[in-house]
Amino acid sequence: MNNPSDEPSKIAQEPRGSVDSDVTLNDPEDDFRLVALAQQGDMSAYDALVTRHRGRIFAMIRNMIHQEADAWDISQEVFIKAWRALPKFEAKARFSTWLYRIAHNAVYDWTRRRKIESAGELNDEIFERERIDSASFTTPSGGESPADSMSNGELRAKIQIALGKLSPEHREVVLLKDVQGLSYKEIAEAMSSTLGTVMSRLYYARQKLQALLKDEYESR
Amino acid sequence: MNTNPDESTLALWLDDELTGVELAAVEAWASSQPDQLAARDEIRGWRATMAAAIPASVEPPYPDFFNTRVLQAIREQQPQPAMVERNPFSWKSWLMPMVACSGMVMAFWIGKKSQPAIDYDVVNAPRAIPVGPVVYTPESGVKAEWIASSKASATVIVLNGVTAIPDATDFSATVYVPMDREFDSTADSDAQPELEVGP
Repeated sequence: MNNPSDEPSKIAQEPRGSVDSDVTLNDPEDDFRLVALAQQGDMSAYDALVTRHRGRIFAMIRNMIHQEADAWDISQEVFIKAWRALPKFEAKARFSTWLYRIAHNAVYDWTRRRKIESAGELNDEIFERERIDSASFTTPSGGESPADSMSNGELRAKIQIALGKLSPEHREVVLLKDVQGLSYKEIAEAMSSTLGTVMSRLYYARQKLQALLKDEYESR
Repeated sequence: MNTNPDESTLALWLDDELTGVELAAVEAWASSQPDQLAARDEIRGWRATMAAAIPASVEPPYPDFFNTRVLQAIREQQPQPAMVERNPFSWKSWLMPMVACSGMVMAFWIGKKSQPAIDYDVVNAPRAIPVGPVVYTPESGVKAEWIASSKASATVIVLNGVTAIPDATDFSATVYVPMDREFDSTADSDAQPELEVGP
């Protein structure tokens, strides 16, 4: 099985449209300091918090619902709700994790309101494990590495399509883990779930993505 | 670690989330597990691919406007400061007007006392003389008299000495006579007026 990241350096140059994800920019300690000021009513501090986190929240929500205009509105809603709930924030978790949790609820509220049912969405419960390559572990496999066979833009498009075919729960856990870089514990907090459930969902979500991407490679 | 790690610990190790003693223990076990080491490498590669293909952070369109809208919505939703309810039976509610009224009465009384009283000669005060109306005539030699009748609710002014008005005087030059087309009537001009005949 070829590793899809045989040439990670090529891919790493790609992310267009992304903002600076410098770790120091979202230093949790700075977040806590700004949160403390915002809790005292300092709007400029909250403005700074919005600026620091809007990119990740917007990206996460857009990847979840695939509608930019609605993602913009829901992201706004997240920050407005966060402001209202700010007095209850006790800094037990990172501010960003807390925001992801609010975003999680906002997306599911929006989904319930709109009653979106994607025609191509797969049902997790009835997904047959036999369709998953038994030789694989939890990562895509195939005769050819996606990094080798596709340009970076194509790879992104294929992954986006495959993600769109996952259930919302599986899509979210993959995005939070593999794109946003949250830990299992943080994902469990954000999704109001247990650690075991998160591990299980991530395992199966990666397998499904592998199967879907493999189909994409073979259809080329 | 001589025994296999549990599933949860193995999952954490595969995703590089273990630290310290736990990490060392699983690393010791995995050193003899090439499949697990390969699996971890694959997951690392997968995470790198995903992170590179899908940006973790994307600025929303019009980011400044985004912030402005958020802050505006927050300000609009801010609870207004609660109005302090006044107790209608509070001592302030009746004491203040009472003090104000007392002050005004006191000031009036002091003003009256501070000025000497003036004695008016009411008996010898000039009396009002009734004066008849005066009719002004701009032309000399003309006298005017007026006769008022309360019963008729009318006043007649008689002018003596006014020059007679000649018959040739053209009043049309001084009187506005509307043209036919200006009459505010839709009646046919040829139509004869209906005469009202009495009983």
